Amino acid sequence: MADIFTSAVIVATLSSGIRLAVPLLLASVGEAFGQRSGVLNLGVDGIMLLGAFGGYYTTLKTQSPWMGLAAGLAIGMALGLLSSVISVSLLAEQGISGIGVYLFGLGMSDLLFQRLVGTPLPVKSFPKVPIPGLSEIPVLGDLFFNHSLPIYLAFLAVPVSTLIINRTRFGMNIRAVGENPEAADSQGVSVVKVRYAAVTIGGLMAGAAGAVLAVGLGIFQQNLTNAQGFIAIALVYFGAWRPLGVMAGALVYGMVSAVVLLLKTRGIIPLGASDLAAMIPAIITVLALVFAARRFRAPTALTKPFMRGG
Amino acid sequence: MNHNRKPGLARLWVLAALLALVAAACGGDEAEEPATTAAPGTTQATADAEEEPASPEEPMEPLRIAVVAPSASNDLAFTQSIVDAVNVIAAENPGTEVAITDGTFIVEDAAAAIRGYADEGYDLVLAHGSQYGGSLEEIAGDFPDTAFAWGTSTDTLGQPNVSAYNAASEQGGYVMGRMAAVLSDSKVIGVVGPIEVGDAKLFVDGFANGAMEQDGVTVNINYIGSFSDVALASEAAQAHIASGADVLTGSAQMVVGAVGVAQANDVLWFGTQANQTSLAPDLVVASQVYKWEIVLRDIIADISAGSLGGKAYEIDLANGGLAIEYNDGYPLPAEARTIADAAIAGIIDGSIHPLEQMFVEEPEPMEPLRIAIVAPSASNDLAFTQSIVDAVNVIAAENPGTEVAITDGTFIVEDAAAAIRGYADEGYDLVLAHGSQYGGSLEEIAGDFPDTAFAWGTSADTLGQPNVSAYNAASDQGGYVMGVVAAELTQSGVIGVVGPIEVGDAKLFVDGFASGARNQGDVTVNINYIGSFSDVALASEAAQAHIASGADVLTGSAQMVVGAVGVAQANDVLWFGTQANQTSLAPDLVVGSQVYKWEVVLRDIIADISAGSLGGKAYEIDLANGGLVIEPNDGYPLPADVIALAAATINGIIDGSINTGAN
Repeated sequence: MADIFTSAVIVATLSSGIRLAVPLLLASVGEAFGQRSGVLNLGVDGIMLLGAFGGYYTTLKTQSPWMGLAAGLAIGMALGLLSSVISVSLLAEQGISGIGVYLFGLGMSDLLFQRLVGTPLPVKSFPKVPIPGLSEIPVLGDLFFNHSLPIYLAFLAVPVSTLIINRTRFGMNIRAVGENPEAADSQGVSVVKVRYAAVTIGGLMAGAAGAVLAVGLGIFQQNLTNAQGFIAIALVYFGAWRPLGVMAGALVYGMVSAVVLLLKTRGIIPLGASDLAAMIPAIITVLALVFAARRFRAPTALTKPFMRGG
Repeated sequence: MNHNRKPGLARLWVLAALLALVAAACGGDEAEEPATTAAPGTTQATADAEEEPASPEEPMEPLRIAVVAPSASNDLAFTQSIVDAVNVIAAENPGTEVAITDGTFIVEDAAAAIRGYADEGYDLVLAHGSQYGGSLEEIAGDFPDTAFAWGTSTDTLGQPNVSAYNAASEQGGYVMGRMAAVLSDSKVIGVVGPIEVGDAKLFVDGFANGAMEQDGVTVNINYIGSFSDVALASEAAQAHIASGADVLTGSAQMVVGAVGVAQANDVLWFGTQANQTSLAPDLVVASQVYKWEIVLRDIIADISAGSLGGKAYEIDLANGGLAIEYNDGYPLPAEARTIADAAIAGIIDGSIHPLEQMFVEEPEPMEPLRIAIVAPSASNDLAFTQSIVDAVNVIAAENPGTEVAITDGTFIVEDAAAAIRGYADEGYDLVLAHGSQYGGSLEEIAGDFPDTAFAWGTSADTLGQPNVSAYNAASDQGGYVMGVVAAELTQSGVIGVVGPIEVGDAKLFVDGFASGARNQGDVTVNINYIGSFSDVALASEAAQAHIASGADVLTGSAQMVVGAVGVAQANDVLWFGTQANQTSLAPDLVVGSQVYKWEVVLRDIIADISAGSLGGKAYEIDLANGGLVIEPNDGYPLPADVIALAAATINGIIDGSINTGAN
């Protein structure tokens, strides 16, 4: 029992929590943009899956994880645009159309994988980039400054997104069309353009999340995300539509998962309780965020299609 | 042989169809171009210029010919042979239109393509694959005015519009076997075969007979069990070379890997089906080339004369349909050439019968069946689902005419239940519900279809139904053996196990493994059931947690471990696989894999069905009956004393002197 508190084990466990959190973080920060503008995209998991396959396959073919990440971003952006067309222009019922995008991503990623790859082949993952100087700090250096570039970028996305949403005209427009699209429209803000942009950002980040997941693991498999896209959507609600809250949720989820894994590995959680323990991350995250997010409310126009004069 | 149906995919196609409708609606006036029908696989159509003047020598009526074939058009083997032949026919008959759908290794795709071509009015549709027989039989009846040809086969399916075509590939095999015996210095010759059926089997038998005409020659034959596993074929070639072979041959499209191995090791190669010289220009001695155009000309002439089928055709050395093409880049000694020429002359004049001294017993074929599989993960998951799909493919290869349908990826039990019921409803003879989670659904469904045989695995429980068999894997046995080996290999004394949920064969494997390792002495085995069969990311983090806790040897069961193997690879930690051979995931660090060979129990289940018993019995694969096999990774240098220990452990389990400790 005592030897789980060695610095090596603690660093390994927390790093594991960070790795588990990153795809959730990317996808949910992106989804927060869309939801703040009033569009719920339930297709996040499908976009992640296609981003994951695109990233994996591109890496397999080019031997470059960066090309893989670029492919994931491009696929995510394209599907984000497609989602915008469906939700914003065609005014589709957001819950149902998102499920359509999810099923499309689930089926298509598997079909392409079966046809183009077949038996899983490992690919090169992102190299670690220790930050000079900082990575040598005992314990903290390894924990915070010895990761691959996409992990730093994912965390950098949080303050950047906060700034965009709270401090820029674009962010103000996003919030405005999410709260009261009619009022925003009357002020000359193009609701359609703003929602297109926000949902496309969400798609882009979901695609990145998928690519980071697949290339980070170095492998692809049918339904690789295992519904992480849906957890990401839940994190947006529980993180109160704020990038910082979303990050907290993703980290709690990742860290609890990592700690549970460690406790099971060391036999501290007995074998018989393994399956029960698998639920702990979800339960703790929900509880933590329910209490934290109580005082926030959803964007008023969330899930409501906008039609001028309608 | 297979057809895939996925619930997700079905919805996907609906969505795609809707998108297509939308696109068509948006196309408006410009959408005047004829619609292109995309058949599965790669489809290409070529039509020669219509104004081409008629050739001087009595051209045949211009025809529209379609080819449907399982592998790539340029596979340097089976599919290429027919594509080349049709192109010859097209060149001889200007105006002939040729359409090709290749890569249809999924039989349902092939069936759709065959039907599509018949529907489009093609005059001759070639179903180029023995596995297409069942589908063709149905389709041919629906299009009585279309001529079909099926190969390689000698059976016209009792249809007046189906021709059969076959290759006497034992003839060229014999000739090349004679040459191989002369050219071999070590007098050991290796053969890499796919599955022991059809023209591949004929070739291998002929080759072996030819080689063994010379005294003192050993011919080692390795049927790898797959037409497409290039990696396995290369490994088989490596094994032959390690056993002293200095001449190799092999049949079917997966040998490209083996030719590469021959090239790398400076070992001679004999090709068949197509000219394989380009794969190893210095080392290919000769190739037996199929010239299907010989029989195609006859088939087309018969069609022109009004007979659409009902006849079987064969290419052989006498009619020029088989040709031995020598590689000019290889200096063949005169002696070998003389022997080859004499053998060809002898076969043509009937004085030599290449299969006369058949030393391979023809297995008694079972009754052709329709088998359906419903399984939770992907067919090529390198784990649970792949194990049953591989096994059913072995059964299908042993029993030509067997129809196999697969619904994989049904991790949602309701979807699986719908598929199981669907197959029973469609009259499949044996429906395999491959997932312990399907038991509840199967219990209900089996009662509704008392005349259909079901099998449920992994389980030891037949659900109290007379038409349900249960099948299980004694995976604790291989687990125990690998645990013993793992304990010998660990330096840190800590071994990590990544399990899914503590049930079924995964639990047996983990228990056996832990018990084997712990019985070897002072070893800590940390076990982590992650609570999911599919969460790749979590499995990989579990592997990280094991490594952080000091583990230097890992194992794990179920389809989500692909991520964990990657972690083992990245951290230079050894891995033991189970369910399927996982060497390809980490070629340097996988020590060995316990492989499930469900065909061992499937043969029994099918024999019982044929004998009238639809179920009520539980079957098990284990080390003793050959249903469980420990496949070591040749790329990992296992010390000799550990190999001996593993062998002794396997024997101990088989003779009962070792108890795996699992329950």
